[in-house]
Amino acid sequence: MPKAATKRRALVCLAMILVAALYLANTRAAQQKEDVMVTSNALGRPGGTLTLAVRSDPKTLNPVLAVDETTREIIDCMNADLIHINRETQQPEAALAKSWSISHDGETYTLHIRRGLRFSDGQPLTADDVVFSFQLYLDEKIDSPQRDLLMVGGKPISVEKIDDYTVRFHLAQPYAAAERLFDGLAILPKHLLESAYKAGTFAQSWGVSAAPDQFAGLGPFRLKEYVPGQRIVLERNPYYWKVDGTGRRLPYIDTLVFLFVPSEDAQVIRFQAGDTDLLSRFSAADFSVLQREQAAKGYQLEDLGSGLEYNFLFFNLNNLDGKNLPAITRKQSWFRDVRFRQAVSAAIDRDGIVRLVYEGRATPLWSQVTPGNKLWLNTALVQPAQSLEHARELLRGASFSWSSSGALLDPSRQPVEFSILTSSSNAERTKMATLIQDDLSKLGMNVHIVPLDFQSMVARLLNSFDYEAAIMGLASGDVDPTSDMNVWLSNGGTHLWNLTESKPATAWEAEINQLMNEQLVTLNYGQRKLLYDRVQQIVADELPVICLASPHVLVGASRRVGNFHPSILEPSALWNIDELYVH
Amino acid sequence: MKYLARRLAYAVLLLGTISIFSFALLQWAPGNFFDSMRLDPHVSAQTVNAMRARYGANGPFVVCYAGWIRSLVKGDMGYSFAYGTAAGPLLWTRARNTLVLTASGTLLAWLLALPLGIWSAANKGTWGEKICGAATSSLMTIPDLLLSLILLLLAVRTGWFPTGGMISSGAANASFWSEIADIVRHLILPVAALTVSILPMLVRHIRSAMIDALESPFIRAARGHGIPRRRLLFVYALRAASNPLITLFGFSIAGMLSASLIVEVVLSWPGLGPLMVQSILARDVYVVIGIVMLSSVFLVAGNLVADVLLFVTDPRIRVE
Repeated sequence: MPKAATKRRALVCLAMILVAALYLANTRAAQQKEDVMVTSNALGRPGGTLTLAVRSDPKTLNPVLAVDETTREIIDCMNADLIHINRETQQPEAALAKSWSISHDGETYTLHIRRGLRFSDGQPLTADDVVFSFQLYLDEKIDSPQRDLLMVGGKPISVEKIDDYTVRFHLAQPYAAAERLFDGLAILPKHLLESAYKAGTFAQSWGVSAAPDQFAGLGPFRLKEYVPGQRIVLERNPYYWKVDGTGRRLPYIDTLVFLFVPSEDAQVIRFQAGDTDLLSRFSAADFSVLQREQAAKGYQLEDLGSGLEYNFLFFNLNNLDGKNLPAITRKQSWFRDVRFRQAVSAAIDRDGIVRLVYEGRATPLWSQVTPGNKLWLNTALVQPAQSLEHARELLRGASFSWSSSGALLDPSRQPVEFSILTSSSNAERTKMATLIQDDLSKLGMNVHIVPLDFQSMVARLLNSFDYEAAIMGLASGDVDPTSDMNVWLSNGGTHLWNLTESKPATAWEAEINQLMNEQLVTLNYGQRKLLYDRVQQIVADELPVICLASPHVLVGASRRVGNFHPSILEPSALWNIDELYVH
Repeated sequence: MKYLARRLAYAVLLLGTISIFSFALLQWAPGNFFDSMRLDPHVSAQTVNAMRARYGANGPFVVCYAGWIRSLVKGDMGYSFAYGTAAGPLLWTRARNTLVLTASGTLLAWLLALPLGIWSAANKGTWGEKICGAATSSLMTIPDLLLSLILLLLAVRTGWFPTGGMISSGAANASFWSEIADIVRHLILPVAALTVSILPMLVRHIRSAMIDALESPFIRAARGHGIPRRRLLFVYALRAASNPLITLFGFSIAGMLSASLIVEVVLSWPGLGPLMVQSILARDVYVVIGIVMLSSVFLVAGNLVADVLLFVTDPRIRVE
């Protein structure tokens, strides 16, 4: 080979190395300037499409107005919050805010926003966007469902801009879960939404029919296409603010497709057919079906244990004066007697419910906090097994008796007979009601099951109070007790068993009020835990709700999905969507 | 012309009555969209009440109905509480998809039912006809839901057909003909379900109408005159039988629409069906009323077409 050619080749190589080095240095510098967040996930492979099914179309793409779970799940892929709850550790961690500090009195939070970040349309993020976003969430005229979360001590939190990258939040009183407030509150682009807000048309902004170029967010994906009734397609956000250990910008996936598949059965079938890569919120029966094919098809199926959902039976303890419901009013004398509720609880075979309703994929419950909530579960609570003998003792103590045919009679010798409402669309709860009916028949109680469509049931529970007992389930979005304030405070909107209390109807409800309010302003976790342990103890003793079982969180992924680490907190399979990749 | 005007007036009156009844039923049905929001522990009762007032959900029946009529005139068809937008735009795309499905199903069902019905009538009493009769009777007993599930299972097990949707993700960017081919591929299963659901009924009606026609004196006379069998069947008898068949066409549209709601839900066809189920469960009343009205319009339009066809083919109606 001629010497000149060799020299030329060496020079070209050197030049290429220099260009590559310069490019890398430049990228690093840009990223440093950008204040990106470096994740610790296992390295993934960039590119590809991930497909999953959701039950319905998103109702809106406006994070301020979103209510339902499906809508929020899709919106969350396109947006980011200041402080985020890590679904794995269940603890708040830095997101768009790189760090934060809390004043000594616990009433002021100063957040430092990452510098150099950009929305998905390339426009920079500043403190103005943060202030504007909270202005939207707090505006009474917009009626954002998130507004209630931002009310502390009955007053809305206030926000002020300190400089371009610092904002300060003021609370009316110390608030234990203040950092958790920020989770899920998307920071929105002022440059795109301010004009609509000023014109009073914000409620119509970012509807599902808006064009993709009208949107911008700080999440890992941005809108590419929405086809009504069929799918919504998101594409990778090239300005996303997280990088992996090698400095590669996340997310790995190029395209994320949500198919709208209205029924659980059809979702499972499409997962089996390979049309979708992820599957969540499906029943234990479907889990068993998939498990049989797991080896052949290579599914990644995970039973994560109990989630945060707790199913319970409760009796109508509302004040029915003026409601003209004499039959229910008469039976309320039994329902209000704690010994009657304790007897019902003692007679229920929770293990049977777990075995027969959930095929073993649930956890029996004796209080409202599930074992999935590791931070707040009161492990000292007694978990008595089913005991018909104990139930009979309790009923005898409350002056109940039995007829010669074995029917239970109340103190006025009337037979004990009541009905349980369930939602007909929830097969598990209807099965639970059947098992409870059978258990209580052993005590001589005559129980009828009334399956109603969900809305009709809700109307009876919340408006007419025309029911005797009901089975319901609630699931807190977060592990923190503050997310259940409306359930446990006697004047709370979800205080289902008695929605008519202007002041606590019983001493134990007054104590729960006091404990819940105290834990809300106590900043020390240990002290809060003691307070909430006591709440759980009271609930387990007084049984305003008779907790039954918490279904396990079941999720699945196709074999081609990498970094699949589902969590019990929603969105179970998607919480680390920016780290997921496809083989 | 007068006949057409009269039928149109009837149609408008019918639609008005349907709207009042469906509005009243939904207003009086227990529960409403905002109640289930109250079960979210994060949302306070005050916020729910404010939303309820803003959307005018607290108003009396007459006020709500008048408001809906006004928005109907504007083309909005009311307001979807769930989507926070006018109901009309939500419905148009889905109505188009439902029309594509039901029109394809109706066309295919009639294309198959006509020759089968005529053949059955012409071969009455033969073994072949008896087997055909038994097959149609068996098919009639299969509920639409089960049929759709069987087809879905077939798609999963064989992988021959798409398991849902109307168009594949990548197909929208492909050429026009590739897109059409993709839609046709997605149509196979839902159209098959719809066709099978209505085909037995059509075949039996056509057979019966044709047997009546074939046994009429003028056909016997024509046969005596040595008119070829094929001409006798397809020209004389079919024309004589067309009167009840055209009426049947109107009914078949109604059957198709009700079957399509189930088929769409099970086979994930993006039509009005899944939206209707969702909206009924959520009590998104204006969307439900919009879907009921659109389905009624399709039905009334189908019957109107049948009436016009009858007018054209049957001179007795013209005289009346």
